[in-house]
Amino acid sequence: MSMGVPEIEDAKLLFIFGYNGADAHPIVARRIVKAKQKGAKLIVTDPRITESARIADMHLQLKGGSNMALINAIGNVIIAEGLADKKFVEDHTSGYEEYKAIVEKYTPEYAEPICHVSPDLIREAARAYAKAETSMILYGMGVCQFAQAVDVVKGLASLALLTGNFGGPNMGIGPVRGQNNVQGACDMGALPNCYSGYQSVTDDAVREKFEKAWGVPLSNKVGIPLTHVPHRVLEEKDEAKKIHAYYIFGEDPAQSDPDLAEIRETLDKIDFVIMQDIFMNKTGLHADVILPSTSWGEHDGIYSCCDRGFQRIRKAIEPKGDVKTDWEIISLISTAMGYPMNYKNTQEIWDEMRSLTPSFYGATYEKIEALGSIQWPCRDESMEDKGTPYLHKGGKFAHPDGRGKFFASEWRPPCEVESSEYPYSLSTVREVGHYSVRTMTGNCRALANLEDEPGWIQMSPADCEKLNVKEGDLIRVYSRRGSLITRVMPTERVKAGATYMTYQWWIGACNELTTPYLDPISNTPESKYCAINLEKIDDQASAEQFVKDSYESIRTNMGIDTAKKGV
Amino acid sequence: MNYFVKGNPDLCIGCRTCMIGCVVAHEGEKIFQMNPWEYVFNPKLDIVKTATITIPVQCKHCENPACMNVCPVGAIEMIDNTVVVLHDKCIGCKTCMIACPYGAIDMVVASDGKKQLDNSDRIVANKCDLCIGREEGPACIQVCPTAALKLVTEEDVAVSVSNKRTAAAISLSQVKGS
Amino acid sequence: MGKQILTTCPYCGAGCQLYLNVNDGKIVSATPAAGRTNEETLCLKGRYGWDFLNDPQILTKRLTKPLIRKNGILEEVEWDEAISYTAGRLSEIKAKYGPDSIMGTGSARGPGNEANYVMQKFMRAAVGTNNVDHCARV
Repeated sequence: MSMGVPEIEDAKLLFIFGYNGADAHPIVARRIVKAKQKGAKLIVTDPRITESARIADMHLQLKGGSNMALINAIGNVIIAEGLADKKFVEDHTSGYEEYKAIVEKYTPEYAEPICHVSPDLIREAARAYAKAETSMILYGMGVCQFAQAVDVVKGLASLALLTGNFGGPNMGIGPVRGQNNVQGACDMGALPNCYSGYQSVTDDAVREKFEKAWGVPLSNKVGIPLTHVPHRVLEEKDEAKKIHAYYIFGEDPAQSDPDLAEIRETLDKIDFVIMQDIFMNKTGLHADVILPSTSWGEHDGIYSCCDRGFQRIRKAIEPKGDVKTDWEIISLISTAMGYPMNYKNTQEIWDEMRSLTPSFYGATYEKIEALGSIQWPCRDESMEDKGTPYLHKGGKFAHPDGRGKFFASEWRPPCEVESSEYPYSLSTVREVGHYSVRTMTGNCRALANLEDEPGWIQMSPADCEKLNVKEGDLIRVYSRRGSLITRVMPTERVKAGATYMTYQWWIGACNELTTPYLDPISNTPESKYCAINLEKIDDQASAEQFVKDSYESIRTNMGIDTAKKGV
Repeated sequence: MNYFVKGNPDLCIGCRTCMIGCVVAHEGEKIFQMNPWEYVFNPKLDIVKTATITIPVQCKHCENPACMNVCPVGAIEMIDNTVVVLHDKCIGCKTCMIACPYGAIDMVVASDGKKQLDNSDRIVANKCDLCIGREEGPACIQVCPTAALKLVTEEDVAVSVSNKRTAAAISLSQVKGS
Repeated sequence: MGKQILTTCPYCGAGCQLYLNVNDGKIVSATPAAGRTNEETLCLKGRYGWDFLNDPQILTKRLTKPLIRKNGILEEVEWDEAISYTAGRLSEIKAKYGPDSIMGTGSARGPGNEANYVMQKFMRAAVGTNNVDHCARV
């Protein structure tokens, strides 16, 4: 996020794009509610009536998969009506003319048949966004998990450039990251193209610095993204280019990745699969070796939250069982492979990382301890450098010319759209009381009591009537890739023809249905759009039994002695 | 006057933290150490979502409670500004559940561990008791991350009525003629 | 009373600060702390999402011992065996197909930044590939 979470409540206008804070981050949503209480205008763009949409001044209930067209139309209106911040555009940006040329044809009237949003509402939203004293954009995975994702993100950033909404407090653009430490994994260089602090592996000076520090020659070839692994295993003919070993650490691709049938085949075909985790999970069923690690609560460290804040995690209890911390396990393997690693604690690792990463160098353990939270960049070790609440101060950007770059792209429809055979669209969303693949929250008593298998599919009342199903009925959902059983949740908050499922259920595992199509730049799968069909189940009693049996067989597979449980 | 918890739909984000807070207040923190199938999970409030509203619904603690009036065994009483179901006396007849115009009562397995004579579960009426006897007051209010819940007391009602009357007087004074 | 450990919630990117209240070496509750982003509030996951640590085995089971698949079945082994087996197989594959035939992941979840740093260093310096990524994309 270019700004900090606390700033959300002081923006004069919030433009919330495909972000459902109430379910994804209730404590961020709290700031949205507070902003509204403080008089901010709320514009929400979402195909569903989310909690934010419900209290919004304007709700652009667009059709799923039309983000780019809507954003271009908003840019079009801002330019056409002379609402752009000309001085900011001149002084701090580049590429305006090219941007203008592309959005020119996206008049609200042109966008309407694509987005299903009235031209008047698009104009009203564009005017409000451009005219507010400080406007802040918040977006979520509703933007990123499309095959056209990076384009849309850059399009949103262009709106902020166009209206001069960068460089000061309470403005800017905020991707609200989903997982607790997804920001941190990126910050630390768990990415195929960069080391810690986003230092490129193809930059010779950077690489030489790391080579010197680590004492080995390093590859200058950008690695492959996670989402390319299935292709590199199942379709790659050249043995040398194939993936033969997969070290999976704290993730469960056999639940979280799209098109699970393909993932299972991939895991089975790879010669050697290492899994390192705290719970047995679906990936474990395909692993050759399983390395048990300590959990949150059992080890020390630092997380990075969504607004670039480094914060400590601390060990509260002793772990049970014969487990080790993640960094110890990796160090032992490394040492056994002839590259010794002998860290004594997390602070020692952090200090090595800092010494190689200028933008994090000032964030010492002592300073994080003293301040509680430090937002990077933080370059100086002295207490004066308390980090950076918001980026691009004074309109300075990370590009070599210091200017923010405009970007527009033509709208492309989703890769798989509804057809007569698969007449409904499916988008994957979040369940407020569960997290990620549910190995943690699914093992929390109260959270599991609140919501448990097989989960729900949100459908419009009209579709429920058409299929003659009611709330709580089990229903069969299928796509070109797979099929599952889940429960019907009629809701007026979704449009007819569109359906939504939360992705952490194991029986109602919606990733059995989703497509593996990727954004060409970010390689993010299109989890937010695929075509499905629905089938009423007449024999509800045996479907209920099927769910019960499936749950028991999952538990047995996970190594639980089910005979002990009274359920 | 009886007190009650009122939700504000402008603040509620439907996260249901209040529902778990309710269970923990009544069953105790010990549930987090127990076998998952050995305790009961009976929130005394429920989040309702329509196209335009998100709000928890719970007992209004009526001044003339229909539930209390229809209870054939006197298992519902008013104690300290609160309408309370006495689980020991409740026979599970569901009359109160039918009588309540708010749908604030449901029937659940009694959490006190007491069984019927044939050792089967006792089913009793379940509803908000404003966490009576809890020092910090109703747990739902305490745990709500957006401060969407509020305990309404006599004083609040008086202020609210007074404000409404002032507003009414102003609007009436603006009606000319007639 | 026991002790209070200040930490960061392991769910979602909001970065809420909370106390784990520990008694006799066991967590008994979690309460909100005055963090920068959460200001003494928590949602249901932050407040009631810690008891997976005492392994109630509702959905899955905590891993407590290294396992190696032998003849199709996962068998418990000692750490020495698990480490040397893993290192051996990785070295073998690296020698046969080259470092770029090995893929590793970071973790966007519980392990923390230091473990991610060590993992990417391991993949780059010990294995010799930039094939490291994590589930930011899914």
